Amino acid sequence: MSDASVITNVEPTAAPSGSFVRRPALSVWTILKWAIALWAVVVAVFPIWWMINVVFAQSGEPVSINPRLYPTSLAAGFEKIRMILAETDYLRAYYVSLAYSLLTIAGGSMAAFEFALFEFPGKRLMFAVVMVSLMVPTAVTIVPTYLLTAKLGWLNTMQGLVVPGLASAFGLFMLIQFMRTLPREMLEAARLDGATHFQLYLYFALPLSRNALVTLAILTFMRTWGNFAWPLIVAPNPEIYTVGQVVGLFNAPLSHQTVDVVMTANLLAALPPLIFFLIFQRKIVEGIAMSGSKG
Amino acid sequence: MIGRKHIPHYAMVLPFMALFATFFLYPIASGLYYSFFDWNASSRARFVGFDNYQHIVASRDFHDAMINLAAYVSITVPLGITVAFGLALLVDSFKGVWAHFFRTIFFVPVVLPAFLAATIWRWIYAPNFGLLNMILGWMGVPSVSFLNNTGTMLYALIAVDVWVSAGFNMVIILAGLKNIPGHYYEAARLDGATKLQQVIYITIPMLYPVLFFVVTYGFISALQVFDIPWLLTGSSFAAYGGRQRALLFPVMDMMGRGFGGLHFGQASAYGFILTMVIVLITAGLFAFGRGRFAQ
Repeated sequence: MSDASVITNVEPTAAPSGSFVRRPALSVWTILKWAIALWAVVVAVFPIWWMINVVFAQSGEPVSINPRLYPTSLAAGFEKIRMILAETDYLRAYYVSLAYSLLTIAGGSMAAFEFALFEFPGKRLMFAVVMVSLMVPTAVTIVPTYLLTAKLGWLNTMQGLVVPGLASAFGLFMLIQFMRTLPREMLEAARLDGATHFQLYLYFALPLSRNALVTLAILTFMRTWGNFAWPLIVAPNPEIYTVGQVVGLFNAPLSHQTVDVVMTANLLAALPPLIFFLIFQRKIVEGIAMSGSKG
Repeated sequence: MIGRKHIPHYAMVLPFMALFATFFLYPIASGLYYSFFDWNASSRARFVGFDNYQHIVASRDFHDAMINLAAYVSITVPLGITVAFGLALLVDSFKGVWAHFFRTIFFVPVVLPAFLAATIWRWIYAPNFGLLNMILGWMGVPSVSFLNNTGTMLYALIAVDVWVSAGFNMVIILAGLKNIPGHYYEAARLDGATKLQQVIYITIPMLYPVLFFVVTYGFISALQVFDIPWLLTGSSFAAYGGRQRALLFPVMDMMGRGFGGLHFGQASAYGFILTMVIVLITAGLFAFGRGRFAQ
């Protein structure tokens, strides 16, 4: 693929390995690269920045006077947030979404412990069935799962929101991948010391998998917080609206809300995941990178 | 032989497997059963054989939804992954703090729930005072009703979709890039390969498994698109799909038949038809992927 005569044109001291930069000097490429990167930053962040600006601006100021390019009135913003929290059921939706997310995180780790570390008759079959389910699209299960939930009398209840989602093969798969790497000698040693099977799980596997559990918990939280379709059908009663549904309500074509109020509702829904991301940024990004490169 | 010593193993997997059987395997089986019945959840179910399937395939909505889906998927998946790949190369070309900074910023849209991305963008697209029309206004372009004009609706959806998904795929591709040994590039550089040649002859072939995962996953989720078009068009179970049903997609059609029309038999059958489509496309991708691997 190469032409030997070109070699003379290349400075051997050029950029370090793995980098695409050839010359350290300020080249056209470097400038272009920075321009593209900064432009992409604007595209990625500006919609969110704009949402914040709309909230923190006096209501009703025409865009020709105040184009909402930066926050102009902190007081107006806090007043809108206060108004929404006081006059709507937003806080209850917060509570529902939070409970929904946290409860979904439980579950899965006991089965992962068995699948990752032990052999027993029937394990391969069970494992295969669970893994195949990763490839089954939600589209095929959502309607019959709703019908089952309805039959159980769980519509508009917390268990209806949460329980059907607990059988998550994704979480199980991630934990199995991690628990496979646990040191088996320690497991054997603990067993010789007389630890029961459940103690092995509780005092050995769980603490050592803390990292994977935390990553899974964070990813599950983000995903559950953002789940729109399932709450939409299984909890149509406003008593148990999740944040997603409340946001949908504000956005409904007939709601006649002004953009200020809608954006305030949006901002309140965006805050928990954004704050979470700021705190657990590395874990979130690495968790996703891991699930991708191993999949 | 299932011995007594295996009992603790079964006890540990039981909770997960019971949930899995109840809320995953049973719904699939019952969905298949319902799909052969005409049933609206209150009256008696009536066996209709393959009528539901025939009725769906012959219906105008199904036809429109499939055409929309084909156009949507064939643009959004290649475009989204190209953007993600470009962003990953871009981030990878920076070092240290800047690489970290850009990776974090490009990931921010992923953190937002999809329902929020949709509701924020709905206002960005709004006629007259929306951000996009404001910018167009500065350039003297008259206001465009992006979400109400059948010529722009699909592209408006794709833009949001790429905005949401690019950071996710970027992180997975970045993890793959880090696994390519640096000396490959060094050797190519010594041979006089240009940056473009390095990308084509080293990066892409080495990233093949990662790209394959990203493409397959991208197809599977794009084929089931629901939240974003549903919210962009301000849909409800009474009216969905937007103007002239230009943003009607199969999952929306399925949900509408189930929860709007209460045709649960049809909705179940719809799920299976859609699954067949997804399985066929995934199988096609795998066949194509294996051919490439063999080379």
